[in-house]
Amino acid sequence: MPESTVTKGIERRVAEIIIEELKLEDVTPDTFNPEMDLVDELGIDSMDLATIALVLQDEYKIVIDEDDYPRLKTVRLICAYIEEKLAVKH
Amino acid sequence: MKTVSNLLDPVWYERYKRISSLNIRSSIYDVTNRCNLRCRGCFFFSSGEDLVQEETDLKKWEAFIDREKTRGVNLAILIGGEPTLCMDRVEAFYKRIPSYCATNGLIKVPRDRFPDMMVGISLWGGGEDEKILRGKDTFAISSRNYEGDPYTYYLYTVTPKQVGRIEPVIKRIVDVGLKVHLQLLSNDEGVDGFHWREGELRDLRVEMDEMLERYPQTVISSKYYHEVITTGIMLGRRFSWRECPSVTESLDNRQPPVRRLIHFYRWAADLKTVHRCCTSATRDCATCKDGAAHMSWIMVNKRDHIISTQDLQNWIEVYEMFAKLYRLIPW
Repeated sequence: MPESTVTKGIERRVAEIIIEELKLEDVTPDTFNPEMDLVDELGIDSMDLATIALVLQDEYKIVIDEDDYPRLKTVRLICAYIEEKLAVKH
Repeated sequence: MKTVSNLLDPVWYERYKRISSLNIRSSIYDVTNRCNLRCRGCFFFSSGEDLVQEETDLKKWEAFIDREKTRGVNLAILIGGEPTLCMDRVEAFYKRIPSYCATNGLIKVPRDRFPDMMVGISLWGGGEDEKILRGKDTFAISSRNYEGDPYTYYLYTVTPKQVGRIEPVIKRIVDVGLKVHLQLLSNDEGVDGFHWREGELRDLRVEMDEMLERYPQTVISSKYYHEVITTGIMLGRRFSWRECPSVTESLDNRQPPVRRLIHFYRWAADLKTVHRCCTSATRDCATCKDGAAHMSWIMVNKRDHIISTQDLQNWIEVYEMFAKLYRLIPW
Protein backbone atom coordinates (compact mmCIF):
# COMPACT_ATOMS: atom_id res chain seq x y z
CA MET A 1 0.00 0.00 0.00
CA PRO A 2 1.48 3.40 -0.92
CA GLU A 3 2.40 5.61 1.97
CA SER A 4 0.00 8.44 2.68
CA THR A 5 1.11 12.03 2.46
CA VAL A 6 0.68 12.30 6.21
CA THR A 7 2.98 9.36 6.81
CA LYS A 8 5.58 10.75 4.44
CA GLY A 9 5.37 14.10 6.16
CA ILE A 10 5.94 12.55 9.57
CA GLU A 11 8.83 10.46 8.29
CA ARG A 12 10.46 13.52 6.79
CA ARG A 13 10.04 15.49 10.01
CA VAL A 14 11.41 12.61 12.13
CA ALA A 15 14.44 12.40 9.84
CA GLU A 16 14.90 16.18 10.16
CA ILE A 17 14.79 15.97 13.94
CA ILE A 18 17.28 13.11 14.04
CA ILE A 19 19.66 14.92 11.71
CA GLU A 20 19.40 18.08 13.76
CA GLU A 21 19.62 16.53 17.22
CA LEU A 22 22.46 14.16 16.34
CA LYS A 23 24.20 16.78 14.20
CA LEU A 24 24.51 14.34 11.33
CA GLU A 25 26.51 15.40 8.33
CA ASP A 26 26.27 14.40 4.67
CA VAL A 27 22.61 13.49 4.89
CA THR A 28 19.33 15.29 4.31
CA PRO A 29 15.74 14.34 5.16
CA ASP A 30 15.36 13.37 1.50
CA THR A 31 18.38 11.06 1.46
CA PHE A 32 17.82 9.59 4.93
CA ASN A 33 16.93 5.91 4.55
CA PRO A 34 13.77 5.43 6.67
CA GLU A 35 14.57 1.73 7.01
CA MET A 36 18.07 2.26 8.40
CA ASP A 37 18.58 0.71 11.83
CA LEU A 38 19.34 3.66 14.09
CA VAL A 39 21.23 1.59 16.68
CA ASP A 40 23.08 -0.84 14.48
CA GLU A 41 23.99 1.69 11.81
CA LEU A 42 23.93 5.19 13.29
CA GLY A 43 25.04 4.06 16.73
CA ILE A 44 22.40 5.95 18.64
CA ASP A 45 21.93 4.99 22.28
CA SER A 46 19.20 5.46 24.86
CA MET A 47 20.33 8.98 25.69
CA ASP A 48 20.09 9.96 22.01
CA LEU A 49 16.68 8.33 21.86
CA ALA A 50 15.57 10.21 24.96
CA THR A 51 16.63 13.49 23.34
CA ILE A 52 14.81 12.68 20.11
CA ALA A 53 11.75 11.47 22.04
CA LEU A 54 11.54 14.79 23.91
CA VAL A 55 11.42 16.74 20.67
CA LEU A 56 8.85 14.37 19.17
CA GLN A 57 6.68 14.59 22.29
CA ASP A 58 6.65 18.38 22.05
CA GLU A 59 6.02 18.38 18.36
CA TYR A 60 3.20 15.82 18.27
CA LYS A 61 1.84 16.31 21.80
CA ILE A 62 2.19 12.64 22.61
CA VAL A 63 3.81 10.72 25.43
CA ILE A 64 6.62 8.35 24.49
CA ASP A 65 7.14 5.75 27.18
CA GLU A 66 10.75 4.84 27.86
CA ASP A 67 9.80 1.18 27.74
CA ASP A 68 8.86 1.72 24.10
CA TYR A 69 12.35 2.87 23.07
CA PRO A 70 13.35 -0.59 21.79
CA ARG A 71 10.51 -0.31 19.26
CA LEU A 72 11.89 2.91 17.82
CA LYS A 73 14.56 1.32 15.70
CA THR A 74 14.07 3.10 12.39
CA VAL A 75 12.51 6.31 11.13
CA ARG A 76 9.71 4.23 9.63
CA LEU A 77 8.99 2.51 12.94
CA ILE A 78 9.10 5.82 14.81
CA CYS A 79 6.62 7.21 12.32
CA ALA A 80 4.30 4.22 12.77
CA TYR A 81 4.58 4.65 16.54
CA ILE A 82 3.65 8.34 16.32
CA GLU A 83 0.67 7.58 14.08
CA GLU A 84 -0.48 4.92 16.53
CA LYS A 85 -0.28 7.40 19.41
CA LEU A 86 -2.09 10.09 17.42
CA ALA A 87 -4.85 7.66 16.48
CA VAL A 88 -5.45 6.81 20.14
CA LYS A 89 -5.51 10.51 21.01
CA HIS A 90 -8.16 11.32 18.43
CA MET B 1 27.26 9.84 6.33
CA LYS B 2 29.42 7.55 8.45
CA THR B 3 27.63 4.44 9.59
CA VAL B 4 28.76 1.58 11.77
CA SER B 5 28.71 -1.01 9.01
CA ASN B 6 30.77 1.01 6.60
CA LEU B 7 33.49 1.50 9.20
CA LEU B 8 33.68 -2.13 10.31
CA ASP B 9 34.38 -5.43 8.61
CA PRO B 10 31.78 -8.17 9.18
CA VAL B 11 33.58 -9.67 12.18
CA TRP B 12 33.82 -6.35 14.02
CA TYR B 13 30.27 -5.49 13.00
CA GLU B 14 29.00 -8.66 14.65
CA ARG B 15 30.99 -7.77 17.79
CA TYR B 16 29.39 -4.33 17.72
CA LYS B 17 25.87 -5.73 17.36
CA ARG B 18 26.44 -8.18 20.21
CA ILE B 19 27.11 -5.36 22.65
CA SER B 20 24.87 -2.68 21.18
CA SER B 21 21.87 -4.78 22.09
CA LEU B 22 22.81 -4.67 25.78
CA ASN B 23 20.79 -2.01 27.47
CA ILE B 24 22.45 -1.64 30.83
CA ARG B 25 20.94 0.50 33.58
CA SER B 26 23.27 0.26 36.53
CA SER B 27 23.21 1.88 39.92
CA ILE B 28 25.50 1.59 42.93
CA TYR B 29 24.47 0.66 46.45
CA ASP B 30 26.33 1.03 49.74
CA VAL B 31 25.18 -2.22 51.32
CA THR B 32 26.58 -1.35 54.73
CA ASN B 33 28.69 1.28 56.47
CA ARG B 34 30.80 -1.32 58.19
CA CYS B 35 34.02 -2.81 56.94
CA ASN B 36 36.47 -5.37 58.28
CA LEU B 37 39.41 -3.31 57.00
CA ARG B 38 40.45 0.31 57.34
CA CYS B 39 42.47 1.07 54.25
CA ARG B 40 44.52 4.21 53.85
CA GLY B 41 43.28 5.65 50.59
CA CYS B 42 39.68 4.45 50.93
CA PHE B 43 37.34 7.35 50.10
CA PHE B 44 34.32 5.81 51.80
CA PHE B 45 35.42 6.51 55.36
CA SER B 46 37.64 9.52 54.73
CA SER B 47 34.79 11.44 53.09
CA GLY B 48 32.24 10.54 55.76
CA GLU B 49 30.01 8.47 53.53
CA ASP B 50 29.62 6.03 56.42
CA LEU B 51 27.88 8.58 58.64
CA VAL B 52 24.31 7.91 57.54
CA GLN B 53 22.06 5.77 59.72
CA GLU B 54 22.26 2.33 58.15
CA GLU B 55 18.92 0.66 57.40
CA THR B 56 18.84 -2.68 59.18
CA ASP B 57 15.32 -3.89 58.38
CA LEU B 58 15.66 -6.50 55.63
CA LYS B 59 12.05 -5.98 54.56
CA LYS B 60 12.83 -2.33 53.85
CA TRP B 61 15.83 -3.37 51.77
CA GLU B 62 13.66 -5.78 49.81
CA ALA B 63 11.00 -3.14 49.16
CA PHE B 64 13.71 -0.66 48.15
CA ILE B 65 15.28 -3.12 45.70
CA ASP B 66 11.86 -3.85 44.21
CA ARG B 67 11.43 -0.12 43.62
CA GLU B 68 14.86 0.04 42.02
CA LYS B 69 13.92 -2.80 39.72
CA THR B 70 10.75 -0.97 38.76
CA ARG B 71 12.88 2.10 38.10
CA GLY B 72 14.62 0.06 35.41
CA VAL B 73 17.85 -0.91 37.14
CA ASN B 74 19.16 -4.12 35.59
CA LEU B 75 22.64 -4.17 37.11
CA ALA B 76 23.13 -3.61 40.84
CA ILE B 77 26.68 -2.82 41.86
CA LEU B 78 27.09 -3.58 45.53
CA ILE B 79 29.80 -1.79 47.43
CA GLY B 80 30.16 -0.49 50.98
CA GLY B 81 31.66 -0.77 53.48
CA GLU B 82 32.11 -4.46 53.01
CA PRO B 83 28.96 -5.99 51.47
CA THR B 84 29.77 -9.55 52.57
CA LEU B 85 29.23 -8.49 56.20
CA CYS B 86 25.53 -8.37 55.27
CA MET B 87 24.89 -11.43 53.13
CA ASP B 88 21.13 -11.21 53.64
CA ARG B 89 21.08 -7.79 51.93
CA VAL B 90 23.35 -9.04 49.16
CA GLU B 91 21.01 -11.97 48.69
CA ALA B 92 17.99 -9.65 48.54
CA PHE B 93 19.64 -7.89 45.59
CA TYR B 94 20.83 -11.10 43.94
CA LYS B 95 17.34 -12.61 43.99
CA ARG B 96 15.85 -9.56 42.28
CA ILE B 97 18.40 -7.93 39.98
CA PRO B 98 21.60 -9.14 38.28
CA SER B 99 24.18 -8.12 40.86
CA TYR B 100 27.89 -7.56 41.21
CA CYS B 101 29.52 -7.62 44.62
CA ALA B 102 32.69 -5.63 45.29
CA THR B 103 34.53 -7.13 48.25
CA ASN B 104 37.94 -7.27 49.87
CA GLY B 105 37.67 -11.05 49.63
CA LEU B 106 38.25 -11.79 53.31
CA ILE B 107 34.82 -13.41 53.57
CA LYS B 108 33.87 -15.98 50.98
CA VAL B 109 30.62 -15.46 49.12
CA PRO B 110 28.97 -18.88 49.51
CA ARG B 111 28.39 -20.26 46.07
CA ASP B 112 25.47 -22.40 47.18
CA ARG B 113 23.56 -19.17 47.85
CA PHE B 114 25.08 -17.10 45.04
CA PRO B 115 26.01 -19.57 42.29
CA ASP B 116 26.70 -17.05 39.53
CA MET B 117 26.96 -13.66 41.20
CA MET B 118 29.90 -11.69 39.88
CA VAL B 119 32.45 -10.88 42.57
CA GLY B 120 35.20 -8.30 42.25
CA ILE B 121 37.96 -8.52 44.85
CA SER B 122 39.85 -5.34 45.61
CA LEU B 123 43.62 -5.61 45.56
CA TRP B 124 46.04 -2.77 46.13
CA GLY B 125 49.30 -4.27 44.97
CA GLY B 126 51.81 -6.79 46.22
CA GLY B 127 52.01 -8.05 49.79
CA GLU B 128 54.11 -5.18 51.16
CA ASP B 129 51.95 -2.45 49.60
CA GLU B 130 48.85 -4.16 50.90
CA LYS B 131 50.30 -4.19 54.41
CA ILE B 132 51.13 -0.49 54.22
CA LEU B 133 47.76 0.57 52.82
CA ARG B 134 45.40 -2.05 54.24
CA GLY B 135 47.13 -3.44 57.28
CA LYS B 136 47.45 -6.93 55.87
CA ASP B 137 48.18 -8.90 52.72
CA THR B 138 44.57 -9.59 51.76
CA PHE B 139 45.58 -11.62 48.70
CA ALA B 140 46.76 -14.49 50.89
CA ILE B 141 43.21 -14.85 52.23
CA SER B 142 41.11 -13.83 49.24
CA SER B 143 43.00 -16.12 46.86
CA ARG B 144 42.29 -19.08 49.16
CA ASN B 145 38.61 -18.14 49.29
CA TYR B 146 38.14 -17.72 45.56
CA GLU B 147 40.80 -19.80 43.80
CA GLY B 148 39.53 -20.89 40.36
CA ASP B 149 36.11 -19.28 40.83
CA PRO B 150 34.71 -18.59 37.33
CA TYR B 151 32.61 -15.64 38.50
CA THR B 152 35.36 -13.76 40.31
CA TYR B 153 38.10 -11.37 39.30
CA TYR B 154 40.57 -9.12 41.05
CA LEU B 155 40.10 -5.38 40.78
CA TYR B 156 43.70 -4.33 41.09
CA THR B 157 44.13 -0.68 42.06
CA VAL B 158 47.59 0.24 40.87
CA THR B 159 49.39 2.78 43.04
CA PRO B 160 52.40 4.91 42.08
CA LYS B 161 54.59 2.53 44.07
CA GLN B 162 53.49 -0.32 41.80
CA VAL B 163 54.83 1.16 38.58
CA GLY B 164 57.34 -1.31 37.17
CA ARG B 165 56.15 -3.99 39.61
CA ILE B 166 52.79 -5.10 38.27
CA GLU B 167 53.83 -8.38 36.69
CA PRO B 168 54.51 -10.33 39.90
CA VAL B 169 51.02 -9.40 41.10
CA ILE B 170 49.48 -10.55 37.81
CA LYS B 171 51.44 -13.81 38.05
CA ARG B 172 50.05 -14.51 41.51
CA ILE B 173 46.56 -14.06 40.05
CA VAL B 174 47.35 -16.34 37.11
CA ASP B 175 48.53 -18.98 39.57
CA VAL B 176 45.19 -19.01 41.41
CA GLY B 177 43.20 -19.21 38.18
CA LEU B 178 41.45 -15.85 38.40
CA LYS B 179 41.13 -12.81 36.14
CA VAL B 180 42.20 -9.25 36.83
CA HIS B 181 41.11 -5.78 35.84
CA LEU B 182 43.39 -2.79 36.42
CA GLN B 183 42.50 0.64 37.72
CA LEU B 184 44.40 3.51 39.34
CA LEU B 185 44.60 4.96 42.82
CA SER B 186 43.31 8.53 42.94
CA ASN B 187 44.75 9.13 46.43
CA ASP B 188 42.21 11.72 47.57
CA GLU B 189 43.36 11.05 51.07
CA GLY B 190 46.87 12.24 50.29
CA VAL B 191 48.61 9.15 51.60
CA ASP B 192 52.32 9.94 51.77
CA GLY B 193 54.36 8.48 48.95
CA PHE B 194 51.30 7.55 46.89
CA HIS B 195 50.99 10.66 44.75
CA TRP B 196 51.42 10.30 41.01
CA ARG B 197 54.53 12.01 39.73
CA GLU B 198 55.39 13.30 36.28
CA GLY B 199 56.02 10.46 33.88
CA GLU B 200 54.76 7.65 36.10
CA LEU B 201 51.39 7.39 34.40
CA ARG B 202 53.07 7.30 30.99
CA ASP B 203 55.29 4.45 32.15
CA LEU B 204 52.34 2.70 33.71
CA ARG B 205 50.36 2.83 30.47
CA VAL B 206 53.19 1.03 28.67
CA GLU B 207 53.36 -1.54 31.44
CA MET B 208 49.60 -2.13 31.43
CA ASP B 209 49.69 -2.64 27.66
CA GLU B 210 52.50 -5.16 28.09
CA MET B 211 50.54 -7.07 30.73
CA LEU B 212 47.52 -7.24 28.43
CA GLU B 213 49.68 -8.61 25.62
CA ARG B 214 51.49 -11.08 27.86
CA TYR B 215 48.48 -12.34 29.84
CA PRO B 216 45.48 -11.96 27.51
CA GLN B 217 43.60 -14.79 29.21
CA THR B 218 43.96 -13.17 32.61
CA VAL B 219 43.93 -9.39 32.13
CA ILE B 220 40.46 -8.07 31.27
CA SER B 221 41.28 -4.73 29.76
CA SER B 222 41.91 -2.76 26.58
CA LYS B 223 44.71 -0.51 25.42
CA TYR B 224 42.33 2.35 24.73
CA TYR B 225 41.10 2.17 28.31
CA HIS B 226 44.74 2.30 29.45
CA GLU B 227 45.26 5.39 27.31
CA VAL B 228 42.20 7.20 28.62
CA ILE B 229 42.68 6.35 32.27
CA THR B 230 46.37 7.27 32.36
CA THR B 231 46.04 10.49 30.36
CA GLY B 232 42.56 11.55 31.46
CA ILE B 233 41.94 12.46 27.84
CA MET B 234 39.44 10.98 25.38
CA LEU B 235 39.15 12.23 21.80
CA GLY B 236 40.97 15.40 22.82
CA ARG B 237 38.63 16.10 25.77
CA ARG B 238 39.83 16.09 29.37
CA PHE B 239 37.91 14.22 32.09
CA SER B 240 36.17 16.65 34.43
CA TRP B 241 32.88 17.43 36.15
CA ARG B 242 31.63 18.61 32.76
CA GLU B 243 32.38 15.20 31.28
CA CYS B 244 31.76 12.63 34.03
CA PRO B 245 28.89 10.26 33.16
CA SER B 246 28.57 8.66 36.61
CA VAL B 247 26.71 11.40 38.48
CA THR B 248 23.57 10.61 40.46
CA GLU B 249 20.66 11.64 38.26
CA SER B 250 18.76 13.63 40.88
CA LEU B 251 21.87 15.69 41.68
CA ASP B 252 22.85 16.31 38.10
CA ASN B 253 21.97 19.90 37.25
CA ARG B 254 24.66 20.40 34.66
CA GLN B 255 23.67 22.60 31.72
CA PRO B 256 23.84 21.90 28.91
CA PRO B 257 23.14 18.29 29.81
CA VAL B 258 26.11 15.95 29.81
CA ARG B 259 26.16 12.51 28.21
CA ARG B 260 25.64 10.27 31.20
CA LEU B 261 24.52 6.90 32.51
CA ILE B 262 20.75 6.90 32.22
CA HIS B 263 18.99 6.83 35.61
CA PHE B 264 22.24 6.23 37.47
CA TYR B 265 22.08 6.65 41.25
CA ARG B 266 24.48 5.90 44.03
CA TRP B 267 22.55 5.12 47.18
CA ALA B 268 23.81 5.26 50.75
CA ALA B 269 23.05 2.47 53.21
CA ASP B 270 20.14 4.41 54.78
CA LEU B 271 18.33 3.92 51.44
CA LYS B 272 17.46 7.62 51.43
CA THR B 273 20.68 9.53 50.94
CA VAL B 274 22.28 9.68 47.54
CA HIS B 275 25.94 10.34 46.90
CA ARG B 276 27.07 12.72 44.17
CA CYS B 277 28.76 10.13 42.00
CA CYS B 278 30.33 6.71 41.86
CA THR B 279 33.15 7.88 44.08
CA SER B 280 33.56 10.45 46.82
CA ALA B 281 32.00 13.91 46.53
CA THR B 282 35.17 15.28 48.11
CA ARG B 283 37.18 14.14 45.13
CA ASP B 284 38.42 16.68 42.60
CA CYS B 285 37.00 15.54 39.25
CA ALA B 286 40.03 16.97 37.47
CA THR B 287 42.30 14.41 39.15
CA CYS B 288 39.78 11.57 39.52
CA LYS B 289 41.14 8.32 38.16
CA ASP B 290 38.13 6.17 38.89
CA GLY B 291 38.23 3.24 36.49
CA ALA B 292 34.47 2.74 36.23
CA ALA B 293 33.84 6.44 35.58
CA HIS B 294 36.43 6.54 32.81
CA MET B 295 35.11 3.31 31.30
CA SER B 296 31.57 4.70 31.35
CA TRP B 297 32.81 7.99 29.93
CA ILE B 298 34.00 6.15 26.85
CA MET B 299 30.88 4.00 26.65
CA VAL B 300 28.34 6.83 26.75
CA ASN B 301 30.19 8.65 23.99
CA LYS B 302 29.66 5.99 21.36
CA ARG B 303 28.66 8.25 18.51
CA ASP B 304 31.72 10.41 19.00
CA HIS B 305 33.78 7.30 18.21
CA ILE B 306 32.02 6.74 14.89
CA ILE B 307 34.68 8.73 13.11
CA SER B 308 37.16 6.11 11.98
CA THR B 309 37.50 2.35 12.04
CA GLN B 310 40.17 2.52 14.76
CA ASP B 311 38.12 4.84 16.99
CA LEU B 312 35.04 2.67 16.73
CA GLN B 313 37.04 -0.50 17.37
CA ASN B 314 38.53 1.18 20.45
CA TRP B 315 35.03 1.90 21.69
CA ILE B 316 33.91 -1.68 21.04
CA GLU B 317 36.87 -3.10 22.97
CA VAL B 318 36.09 -0.94 25.99
CA TYR B 319 32.43 -1.89 25.91
CA GLU B 320 33.39 -5.57 25.62
CA MET B 321 35.72 -5.14 28.59
CA PHE B 322 32.84 -3.73 30.63
CA ALA B 323 30.51 -6.52 29.48
CA LYS B 324 33.05 -9.17 30.42
CA LEU B 325 33.58 -7.69 33.87
CA TYR B 326 29.90 -8.21 34.58
CA ARG B 327 29.71 -11.45 32.58
CA LEU B 328 27.18 -9.97 30.18
CA ILE B 329 29.30 -11.68 27.56
CA PRO B 330 31.75 -14.56 28.14
CA TRP B 331 35.32 -13.74 29.30
